[in-house]
Amino acid sequence: MVIKINGFDHENRGIGIRHLQLILPSVICSTQVSRRIANEVDGVTFAHQHGCAIIGDDVAGIDNFFADLAAHPNVGSVLIVGLGCETIQGQELSAKLIAMNRSTKYQITQENGGMQGTFDAGVRTACELAKNFPAKRAPITELIVGIDASREEALIDAVQTELKSLGVTTITVDSHGSSAQNFSELMRKRAMVIISFPSPEQPASGFPLIPVINIASKSALHIAIADDFDLSHNATAVEIADKVFSIAAGEVTIAEKNITGEILAPRLVRSV
Amino acid sequence: MDSPIRAFSRANGKWGLRNHVLIMPLHSALSASARAIESASDGAVAISHDWSGEDGSDLARIILTLSGYAANPNNFTTIFLTLDSAHEKEIIARAKLLGLNNSIELSLASVGSMKKIIEIGILKANEELAKARTQVRVPAPWSAIVLGLECGGSDALSGITANPALGVASDRLVELGATSVLGETTEILGAEHLLAARAINEKIGEQIVAMVARYESSINYEGIDIRGAQPSRGNIEGGLTTLEEKSLGAAKKAGNAPITGVLEFGELPQSSGLYFMDTPGHDIEQLAGFAAGHINIVVFTTGRGTPTATAILPTIKVATNTQMANALSDLIDLDAGTIADGAETLVEVGTRIFNEIIAVANGQETKAEQGKHHEFALSRMYKTVVKDLIN
Repeated sequence: MVIKINGFDHENRGIGIRHLQLILPSVICSTQVSRRIANEVDGVTFAHQHGCAIIGDDVAGIDNFFADLAAHPNVGSVLIVGLGCETIQGQELSAKLIAMNRSTKYQITQENGGMQGTFDAGVRTACELAKNFPAKRAPITELIVGIDASREEALIDAVQTELKSLGVTTITVDSHGSSAQNFSELMRKRAMVIISFPSPEQPASGFPLIPVINIASKSALHIAIADDFDLSHNATAVEIADKVFSIAAGEVTIAEKNITGEILAPRLVRSV
Repeated sequence: MDSPIRAFSRANGKWGLRNHVLIMPLHSALSASARAIESASDGAVAISHDWSGEDGSDLARIILTLSGYAANPNNFTTIFLTLDSAHEKEIIARAKLLGLNNSIELSLASVGSMKKIIEIGILKANEELAKARTQVRVPAPWSAIVLGLECGGSDALSGITANPALGVASDRLVELGATSVLGETTEILGAEHLLAARAINEKIGEQIVAMVARYESSINYEGIDIRGAQPSRGNIEGGLTTLEEKSLGAAKKAGNAPITGVLEFGELPQSSGLYFMDTPGHDIEQLAGFAAGHINIVVFTTGRGTPTATAILPTIKVATNTQMANALSDLIDLDAGTIADGAETLVEVGTRIFNEIIAVANGQETKAEQGKHHEFALSRMYKTVVKDLIN
């Protein structure tokens, strides 16, 4: 990479641009206590509706999706919070995730005497993980930038060319129409920063583990909510590349500041 | 027995057992804003979801879930966070048709940013909460109670203790003129003939059997045998052996009353009586369907111990066994394990559940309300993301 930036050494996951602690509910039943824990320890979590009453390809599918979150270069440690009786068992998920991220532990509500017990145990474990796996700084060796092409935008080619000339790896995915779906796929391809070109009728949005730089279009909605975008429709490829580097170096995106964005986990089969 | 229920009267003749100010995001990108408003307000409740306005086969189901939930009589005011899309307008229009009480629409484009929508949302929520506090409960008939019957994390005692005891309470309420709704199609699979035999007429009996067959074929269509996935691992550890055994126990929640009718997911019962609603066994998707169908209180039996509820429905947790009730006391409202210990009869525990339903209907907080369990899930019948995303 032409520009030297210090990131966070996350061992086999790579050198990420954020050092985040993921509080991962393995089932919807644990999402509420996971959020309480995350708020207490300044971790990152998300609401989802998976982990139980799932069948067929969704069982392995959700499991693998969680594993990809844990293996992401921006993730430091992972605390799995489970209920106990669900399909995706916290203990087994933990065993699987440890192979990708050795700073993984789990806590189970039905083994911790209820919600307060889970909260207390979760906070204690999250703090231990943070202490045992501190943020080690190291120069970023490969900066992977994901591009969410939810709208057609002539600028995208120029942005890729500019970033490549600076030694940055860019990845794109076939757009599914909504940024949320594209973000999930870009996460699985280990994007460390995302440049989002949301469709004209969609808002700026974020992804809890990845800084998302939102670039506005000239649509009425985007003009009305100009404050939610990092860059306007007038931004040039060079300006966008500059923004990528300052965000990689630690500047927070507007979506990060607003704590905007959910994680859309894929589903293939109807729930049962 | 005269009704001891005191509830909030709604303009459409329905009764609210709570007077919530609900923050409902109509796009996933507004979910975080909804939560931020909830936590900074003086007691509003919010839901989060992952729908970004996508079209597709599940659109109608998503619209009916969100619109029905918004119009639930437990809501004093629903504050919609919107992007002014056509689908969102459809949700609000349908909610109005269903008797939506007060509502406020906060459009992201009109307010100008995520930050502003939160600021204005907090102000509006607090104004509505102040108004809600001035409305008083008034005497209401038994029909004000629309009870949802649910079980989750079942074990070998579910069909012996908590479920039949809940059946006793449900039968009494139906007898008095209330409405009671059994859901979870997954969990009556194998017991549908018993429920069909209790239908008030042959046609409704056939509808019950057809609904279950439709459900099973939708699973088989995926090339999966539901009997391989149910009972769940937690159920098996709890001592259940087959889906049929789980179903025979689960159906006991509905007591012995005749079945007045069947409801599609999120459909509103048109009279009092006992109904069956086609819902998934997924606890939160089911609760969202119940709320969309204007159920206003839930009893949720559990063997393994589960904390969940949804934002607007008071949900009473009944433990099937005393050991779990003691171990997870901050999740459980009532212990039905005393039946297995021989300390109480089914009727005695059924009476305790009946009395608890009345107390909670009249405003007593449940453990799940104290714990702020505001889970929400959109029931989907189809895939949400392309197949190559999962490998």
